[in-house]
Amino acid sequence: MALVGIIANPASGKDIRRLTAYGSVFDNQEKVRIVRRVLLGLSAVGVDRILYMPDSYNIFHQAIDPLEISIQSSPTPFPIEGNQDDTIKAARFMEEQKADCIITLGGDGTNRVVVKGNSTVPILPISTGTNNVFPFMAEATLAGLAAGLVARGLVPMESSIFTSTKLEVIIDDKVMDLALVDAAVYDDIFTGSRAVWEIDKVSQIFLNRAEPDSIGLSSIGGFIQPISAASPRGLYVELGKNGFLINAPIAPGLIQPVPIRDHFIMETGIEIRVRRLPCVLALDGEREVVIQEGQNAAVRLSLEGPKVIDIKAAMAQAVKKGVFKAKKI
Amino acid sequence: MPIPKKKMIEMYTTMMKIRMFETKVSELFAANKIPGVVHLYIGEEAVATGVCATLRDTDYITSTHRGHGHLLAKGGDVKLMLAEVFGKKTGYCKGKGGSMHIADIDLGILGANGIVGGGPPLAAGAALAAQYKGTDGVAVCFFGDGASNQGTTHEAMNLAACWKLPVVFVNENNMYGLSSCALNTMCVADVADRAAAFGIPGVVVDGNDVIAVYEAAVEAVKRARKGQGPTLLECKTYRHRGHTEGDPGTAYRSKEEIEEWKKKDPIPRFEKRLLQGKVLTKQTMESILTTIANELAAGEQFAEESPYPETSDLTTDVYVD
Amino acid sequence: MPTMNFAEAIRDALRIEMERDPNVYLIGEDVGTFGNVFGVTKGLIDQFGEKRVRDTPITESAIIGAAVGSAACGLRPVAEIMYIDFIGVALDQLYNQAAKMRYMFGGKITIPMVLRSACGAGRGSAAQHSQSLEAWFMHVPGLRVVMPSTPADAKGLLITAIRDDNPVVFLEHKLLYNTKGEVPEGEYTIPFGQADIKREGKDVTVVATARMVHYALNAAEKLAADGIDVEIVDPRTLSPLDEDTILDSVKKTHKLVIVHEEVKFAGSGAEIAAMVAEKAFDYLDGPILRVAAPFCPVPFAPSLETEFIPSEEKIIEGVKTVVQG
Repeated sequence: MALVGIIANPASGKDIRRLTAYGSVFDNQEKVRIVRRVLLGLSAVGVDRILYMPDSYNIFHQAIDPLEISIQSSPTPFPIEGNQDDTIKAARFMEEQKADCIITLGGDGTNRVVVKGNSTVPILPISTGTNNVFPFMAEATLAGLAAGLVARGLVPMESSIFTSTKLEVIIDDKVMDLALVDAAVYDDIFTGSRAVWEIDKVSQIFLNRAEPDSIGLSSIGGFIQPISAASPRGLYVELGKNGFLINAPIAPGLIQPVPIRDHFIMETGIEIRVRRLPCVLALDGEREVVIQEGQNAAVRLSLEGPKVIDIKAAMAQAVKKGVFKAKKI
Repeated sequence: MPIPKKKMIEMYTTMMKIRMFETKVSELFAANKIPGVVHLYIGEEAVATGVCATLRDTDYITSTHRGHGHLLAKGGDVKLMLAEVFGKKTGYCKGKGGSMHIADIDLGILGANGIVGGGPPLAAGAALAAQYKGTDGVAVCFFGDGASNQGTTHEAMNLAACWKLPVVFVNENNMYGLSSCALNTMCVADVADRAAAFGIPGVVVDGNDVIAVYEAAVEAVKRARKGQGPTLLECKTYRHRGHTEGDPGTAYRSKEEIEEWKKKDPIPRFEKRLLQGKVLTKQTMESILTTIANELAAGEQFAEESPYPETSDLTTDVYVD
Repeated sequence: MPTMNFAEAIRDALRIEMERDPNVYLIGEDVGTFGNVFGVTKGLIDQFGEKRVRDTPITESAIIGAAVGSAACGLRPVAEIMYIDFIGVALDQLYNQAAKMRYMFGGKITIPMVLRSACGAGRGSAAQHSQSLEAWFMHVPGLRVVMPSTPADAKGLLITAIRDDNPVVFLEHKLLYNTKGEVPEGEYTIPFGQADIKREGKDVTVVATARMVHYALNAAEKLAADGIDVEIVDPRTLSPLDEDTILDSVKKTHKLVIVHEEVKFAGSGAEIAAMVAEKAFDYLDGPILRVAAPFCPVPFAPSLETEFIPSEEKIIEGVKTVVQG
């Protein structure tokens, strides 16, 4: 019996970055259609149990309602609060229930929160957010198939999954938060609308991955010194004068000159201090953590990031094993 | 500092002025000093405050039946407002409008409105006037989740989109149209989703975070001033009181839900951040509150001592002669 | 004096006012390139451009609301609702917003706007494109209601309407658009609340509006042959209503017939009759009689529509009933 978790963030893809940048709009009807295709994919490879995070818009119910598939489904048993805690609790519960994998719908922010709740169950992140470095721009049917293959053990884990790195935020010697792609020191005292778009307020950037074909702050690193998601290294970038300028897509549709003062490779375990206090730490593109004057804050690279299902690899493995081959007719 | 200190103090003062004004009105209503009905804005202060902090005196707003907060945030005079709420001749509208119909055209306030969905077409008109005259003026339309289901709202958004009118449609989604929960009155999760139908941007912000509202409003107003057309800005918020004074608001909302939202009260949240960020000290906060309290006391006295309109005023002001 | 038809007279008034005041603009469905369904605004877009002659979506609430909002902010919109029947979907913006704002706000706002619309039956347009709803608007404090019957009146009254600081509902009977008459050149105004005696007579007063004025005039010619001398009073504006001219006429003739195309029940004639009964009862020699449409929607079939609209014969019959007691 394979158990798959589904977390669809009803709030992703709607924040102010549709004004400050040119982010896509993901209305929840679209998320319903995506979950529906995921379910069809899962069902096709024999997944029969689903654990889902309920939301006030009932994304899951609307998705499964018209489908004639035999899948048992149950919600994670928590009242809806309408904030990040919903996702953290749901992910934690899915981990406790020993889900075989978790499919997420959201952007980098959503997945960051999922990983805060769950660190062991592999995730298959489908992009429905704004800044999408971590999740895949994938067709949901294939995501459902790939997740189902992994959940049912029809493909070998080791060749269908990779472990990503992550960043740990340490405040006064305690790990307080994490990021899946980037952390940035932002000159503000409020998290406010959470968006990060004024690059002159950014002084330090920590990256656990930096790909030239990524959007957001990680693109800055990608344009300086590319580092893949699976690589055991990170990149530290310091912004300011007396260096060089690069033009980077720091948010959807927003390509801006960024002044680079310094940059170097981040090795795992090494803490790099946040120098501007007070400040707000932006994690994966959203202002998240307020750091007061007098606090001690640092960021370090960790290799213990989330396990991520690689759709391409999983599908290739399945074909190799003849999973999709029909019986003789 | 991203937002000037002065602006943050101004926003704090406005939020507190609204909270204290509404609390005062609530007490006066309970003491039978106010005729009719009043709809209080307690709990939603961050929306009007964050939005109006981005506006000029020459910009316009249209308001709702729950309008005191909008009027105060746009600069409405406490004395004249209280006198009007009392139905006194010295009030904003000579006692002829009352709580639901306060306007001040000199401040760009085109009126609170007793009709849910009455304001959006008017805001489109005000924006049209600004565009027509070639000013960079902006009109802000405050409307609730209830009004978002009215045809007038959709018509106004469509026309504004077609003509790129400088309007910001600010949806105050407090989840209830009187007793009807938005979960049962619309089949999209967010009012902002509807923006797509008009080809305009729609964004959702935490309406109980004045900075989030302010930041989003700055961007939406900027778009409007630049001639890029309307924006739908949805602010998720909650009214602490019932629909009107006298309605405890508990027949259709659970105590737990109300308590949960009171924990997200925009004022303590902002206060805490201002103190932590050393924008304000306890002492300066106290002195702001004292000033507001004095202003309210003077307003109350003015309203109490003012006469009601004469019966001879009954049929005046119907027409411009 | 030049001769022009009713539609041209309205266009003349619009042109004069738009040339005079840059804040005057037109807003409505198909008022631009198409020039309005009856051709009333034809050519104005060429002269004044898209900014001042604004084609809208089909969106009556937004048309009126945009007019009200922009009027509150200093413009002088002339909004058009293609057929008055369409006002229903947008009534709130007119009667709750435009009409009441001044009063609600203690006289501190002005809404200088005109709402033009075509009304009336006679074109086989059936129940939703043919009504006469003037009584609705008369009933709302804060609105002016204008209902011209001739090209010259239409022009002068429209100029007054545009210059008036109140919301004005300007009703144009669609079967009058092609009727011709002498119209003074250039700008002139006709004050509101000033009825016009379209025919002087001594035996009976007929108060008639819009197209019915012409029916009444024709009827009067025929009645003259029977020795009945009819005085025809055209109120021209129903709100404000020129009570004095009507009362003076009744005091002279002692008899009153009211003719309108609206349904008789609770129509504008009811108000006029009640007013005369209250203020000039002792002058009346007999009951007041109304010749008006029956209490039913406007029908489609020509045979029914003809029966619906008050006819010359019915006016003659009514006048004879009153005169002959």
